[in-house]
Amino acid sequence: MNTFRTCPVTGLKVHAQADGLIKANAVVATVALLVGGIAAILVLLTRWQVVHLLPANWFYRLLTIHGMTMLIFFILFFEMAILYFASAVLLNSRVATPRLGWASFWLMVVGAVMVEWNMFAGKADVLFTSYVPLKANSWYYLGVILFAVGALLVVCIFFGTLVVAKREKTYTGSVPLVTFGAATAAIIAVITLGHGAAIYIPTYLWSLGLIKSVDAELYRLVWWGLGHSSQQINVAAMVSVWYLLGALTIGSVVLNEKVSRSAFVLYVLFISMASAHHLLVDPGFGPAWKVWNTSYAMYLAVLASMVHGFTVPAGLELGQRLRGLTKGLFEWLRKAPWDDPAFSSMIFSIIIFGFVGGITGVTFGTEQINIIAHNTLRVPGHFHATVVAGTALAFMGLTYYVIPLIFRKQVAFWPLAKIQPYLFAGGMLLFSVAMTFAGTFGVPRRHYDISFSQAPFDVEFSPAVDLVMAITAIGGLLAAVGGGIYILVTVWSVFFGKPLELGGKRV
Amino acid sequence: MSMHGVPRGITNPPPPIAPAAAAEAEVTHAGAQTPGTLVLVFVFLAAFALYYFVNWKLLSFIWRIG
Amino acid sequence: MHSGIESPPGVWWKPAHRAEKLWVAVAFGWCMVLFAMMPFWHLKGGQNPSGVRHTVDPQAFMARTQEFINSYQVGTEGGIPVVEPPAGSDIYLIGLMWSWRPVLRLQRGAQYTLHLSSLDVNHGFGLLPLNINFQVVPGYDYGLRVTPTEVGDFRIVCNEFCGIGHHLMVGRVIVVDGPAGGAPGAGGTP
Repeated sequence: MNTFRTCPVTGLKVHAQADGLIKANAVVATVALLVGGIAAILVLLTRWQVVHLLPANWFYRLLTIHGMTMLIFFILFFEMAILYFASAVLLNSRVATPRLGWASFWLMVVGAVMVEWNMFAGKADVLFTSYVPLKANSWYYLGVILFAVGALLVVCIFFGTLVVAKREKTYTGSVPLVTFGAATAAIIAVITLGHGAAIYIPTYLWSLGLIKSVDAELYRLVWWGLGHSSQQINVAAMVSVWYLLGALTIGSVVLNEKVSRSAFVLYVLFISMASAHHLLVDPGFGPAWKVWNTSYAMYLAVLASMVHGFTVPAGLELGQRLRGLTKGLFEWLRKAPWDDPAFSSMIFSIIIFGFVGGITGVTFGTEQINIIAHNTLRVPGHFHATVVAGTALAFMGLTYYVIPLIFRKQVAFWPLAKIQPYLFAGGMLLFSVAMTFAGTFGVPRRHYDISFSQAPFDVEFSPAVDLVMAITAIGGLLAAVGGGIYILVTVWSVFFGKPLELGGKRV
Repeated sequence: MSMHGVPRGITNPPPPIAPAAAAEAEVTHAGAQTPGTLVLVFVFLAAFALYYFVNWKLLSFIWRIG
Repeated sequence: MHSGIESPPGVWWKPAHRAEKLWVAVAFGWCMVLFAMMPFWHLKGGQNPSGVRHTVDPQAFMARTQEFINSYQVGTEGGIPVVEPPAGSDIYLIGLMWSWRPVLRLQRGAQYTLHLSSLDVNHGFGLLPLNINFQVVPGYDYGLRVTPTEVGDFRIVCNEFCGIGHHLMVGRVIVVDGPAGGAPGAGGTP
């Protein structure tokens, strides 16, 4: 139970329980990615009108499944693994309460299975946001609550491990920046899960008939306190992973700890209120509330992202320059290891998150510009650039180091692994940009049939819409190939991979 | 061709930075330490400003709403 | 010089490099522009989602909308009543599973207070091809003061999931020139 091994690459002391908990959460995350990914392909082949694969009820059902499985189960299970890594492994410490860690893991699995079961059985055709008065089966809400409780317990174990490490002096000085970033993600997770409890518990009681009604606008306000804050967890985790991958791949340096850590703190301070940008064209709130909460609050979170947008690449550049790559403006980037799939994943994650995700999101998070964007395809165009090409891609890149460092296996299908980030990033880039164009023409999101073949009035879109929707589909399919390769590579490596050998010795 | 592989950071971890170079970097306060990144972030800002103001223009074409 | 996975040596609260300070200052300035544009547009711009807002009982809103239809109905299109209200008046549009009622016939250049609400669940008002989007929430009356700026035959698409008939929800707004009405054009100069 309390055995440690020493990592031959980093020199870190790894607690056996940390190994186990990281592996379990990462494996379940990958299963979720597979389920969510299949749902994605089916949804795509339906919205691509020339194919229009599914009937309406299965479209809305799989759209619900895709959102919940990817945005909650895939990402949060992976983030649990990151929390164990950033605390126990990076600090050479034992996990604070491993038995609770395993109990929480199983609680999260039970909750996830309950939710998936209800969705697949057609008892929760309410989409990821489950806006009241749409009503799902009570067990669906209970499953979400159980999952959230499990996640909250893991967050507590993370903090507990930080305390244990400090007390047992397993490291000296301040925690590393990556651990600090993970800690801010964990703090935001507490805020997020608090909002989640505040909305899912009354909604669960309403679904049982114990509460008469839940106000529709109040639901949106509190749900997005969960919904947007959960995205900020993903941002903080992604940025932490950027610093981590920079260190592992090319030995990037931290320019200034004060600046980077302050930017992480801004994420914590200014995120809850920024949920307002989901309510900019809602009737329940006045303009003063909307302008204040989407800007003074959100723009300091935006400032934080812009700061990391400088310090992360600058750390890569300085690390390279200090190792002799000083020619011209970009030798440091040209001569970087582009054939290291973790490196290429990190770079594409930074670029697409910033240039596509960040710019589009902040723009239509403006009170008035939201009028021409709300509920159009501009919204999923934006968030696939942030959470998929940003966070998920960074997590995929990290996996290429988790496989040798934690699973202690070699990466299988290595030539495929090296091109996987290019396929996934390229596909997602096409997908997001084309979808954003479609949304600018007014194409609605969450919609089964934009040919409106059975509606009372005809709706004609600009002919450009057919073109951009086709490009969206092609980009999505390309990304699906990239995602499929990732799953093949990781599953094969973990279960059938050759053991890692360094210097002729098994690790 | 071997189908298995390991990322370079595992087999050839990044070499440590020469102490002389590190010491000089600590002392130098010139903004020219990371010129490539400075170029990139200003390109980003330009793209941001362009996209942002184009959207205000697009907004101005729709009905008056208040 | 250390990486993000190493504990920083000594005291790490140190002044930033000049490049970092420059970028933080520039980024902050840009964030202030982002903030300032919103109040600016309230003062000088023509599109703001302010509206006149109230809570309302869905049944009461349905009744009020029916009264509005009764007062100004001039015909039927696709099974939905068409109304032609006077310029400057309060007009009503209700979203329900799965239609928008009524069809509105409005005058270019006239201001109306368009009251949006839902009888049942959330709906999304998406006026195409302009496009103009608002959330339609049961229990809330969103009274948007709108002035059509071009003639045309517009469609209202529902863009918030509202059940199995969500993609069948299409409404219609016709904008004509002048009070006597005329054949709606396919477009026009704003």
